[in-house]
Amino acid sequence: MRISPTRQRNGSSPRAKETVIVFSVGGNTFALAASAIDEVREIEGLQGFESRISKVRHTLSRQGRQYFVVDSARHFRLTNANPGRLMILRKLPVALIVDAIDRMQEIHSIQALPDGFIGEERQWYRGLTLLSGKVVPVVHPEAFLSKAEITLLSAALRAKDSTRAMAVTA
Amino acid sequence: MTAIIANCETFVLFPLGKKRFALPAGQVSELARPDQQQTFPHTTPLLTGVVLRRNQIVPVADIAPVLVGPDAPARKFYLIVNRKPKAKGSRTAIPVTGECELANAEQLSVTGKLPAYVCGLLSLHDEIVEILDLERLMSAEVRA
Repeated sequence: MRISPTRQRNGSSPRAKETVIVFSVGGNTFALAASAIDEVREIEGLQGFESRISKVRHTLSRQGRQYFVVDSARHFRLTNANPGRLMILRKLPVALIVDAIDRMQEIHSIQALPDGFIGEERQWYRGLTLLSGKVVPVVHPEAFLSKAEITLLSAALRAKDSTRAMAVTA
Repeated sequence: MTAIIANCETFVLFPLGKKRFALPAGQVSELARPDQQQTFPHTTPLLTGVVLRRNQIVPVADIAPVLVGPDAPARKFYLIVNRKPKAKGSRTAIPVTGECELANAEQLSVTGKLPAYVCGLLSLHDEIVEILDLERLMSAEVRA
């Protein structure tokens, strides 16, 4: 399923809505801006990839681009995950393994993460939103892999590809 | 007499099991009945989830296991505390095991070997109550 970018209406109200994709991982619910997602698909076509980053064990080739596949359960330190869907991000070479896509929804506000939270969640989340009385973290798409990690993984992928090319030539 | 009254401050006394602790009254905004706590993944020690208070999301910091051990009785109320009164988003809900009490008393200096998060003592009728520095308590847990 392709996700269309949200169109801004002319003269839209000051309190802009944002469309998010609500998804689940390991029994927990999260939201991610729909504008950050290019496609949602079945988990298939993954290639094994050994990396130093334990949450990346696969890559995906799609439309001439390589994506690093992040296990969201590992990213959020969750167990009991039941992988079922792949979310391919729009502006990053990242695809996310999640359990399920619940729905697409408009949200009106994101509350800042309270000061009391001082751990890794400050990098993970843009903030918190309320969906039918339930507190749901809104995730930073850039939090799954940092620029440094993407650089590291890209170098490892290039090294792997060149090793394979030499083996074929030999 | 005037000097003694001038040295008295107001504290909120709250129970965790059989022991009581104190916080400066200026830090405490309300005592609330327990709402349904909600959780989401995070890595901050002591925080067990969040509750909704007046449409605001307030983190819950369960300090009982640190102060009285793992066998603290069931928490019955939340003490809503402003950890940094001038900062937005600094409210924290502290689960307590019973009703709270306001007390006017003189803060005494810490004597003996007490944890750094005990910033003073209150000498009440038949008990010594430790005044807590919440920031230090939570920072200590983060460092541990």
